[in-house]
Amino acid sequence: MMDQIHLLILGIILFCVGLYALLGKRNVIKILMGIEIMTIAINVVFIALGSADFVGDDFQIFTQIFPIISIAIGAAVMAVGLAIVINNYRHAKGVDSDEMATLKR
Amino acid sequence: MSLAVIYIFMILAILAAIFAIESRRLMFAVIGLILMNLCVWILFLVLNAILLAWIQLIVYGGGFTALFVVVVALTEKQKDELFDWKRSAIALAIIAVIMGFAIWAVVSSEALFDPAGSLLFAFDLEDSLNALWNARTMDIILQGVVFFATSIAIGTLFISHKKKKVKEEIKA
Repeated sequence: MMDQIHLLILGIILFCVGLYALLGKRNVIKILMGIEIMTIAINVVFIALGSADFVGDDFQIFTQIFPIISIAIGAAVMAVGLAIVINNYRHAKGVDSDEMATLKR
Repeated sequence: MSLAVIYIFMILAILAAIFAIESRRLMFAVIGLILMNLCVWILFLVLNAILLAWIQLIVYGGGFTALFVVVVALTEKQKDELFDWKRSAIALAIIAVIMGFAIWAVVSSEALFDPAGSLLFAFDLEDSLNALWNARTMDIILQGVVFFATSIAIGTLFISHKKKKVKEEIKA
């Protein structure tokens, strides 16, 4: 069985890659991809916590149910985000996050 | 499955995520996302989270990918994104600090990984949560500090950007 700490570090690195997209990129589609990667990283961390030998069955079930809720919420967020991207593209003819202000007009 | 193969999949997931973020063409970025989802799916299967693995593959690997492909196709006339060195450097510096803190916080909490520690035989949910709380109080404090610093950093990024825009408008 693989080491739990390596899974936690995998989660941290994936989260930071998503955060880099959020901070460093201006393309809104890439920012949404970053949010998706961050959500997956959190799910990996939950599963890693539940996969330890010392935790009980209840806790393992809890750590597997919580990511399912997170996936459902993430689906809604992503659908709304992509709808905003398409609306922004119709207004500003681009997907740059700096041009999002044109949606106000 | 051999342990080495699982670690290779973990590294592949990170590389695919970086490829998805850094590739200039958005279609390639979507392919990177699919690859990352497949690697994470294999990891979940190995970790005995079978239902979650399939839900993740269906929702993220299938549904979102289709949605992303549609959106990329609808917005295909966009300009190529120029690499913003200043912005990327600031973001990388912030992320290096966060990643360092987070990895240090995880590695330094030895109690969770110590087989002789007090965390053994926590059979029910409450015991497990209590054990996690006892072992990871320091983590939570550190993460609070990290999130506070991050929010301030993000705020300063936006403020400096707004100031720059106002200056450009005045110049124009």
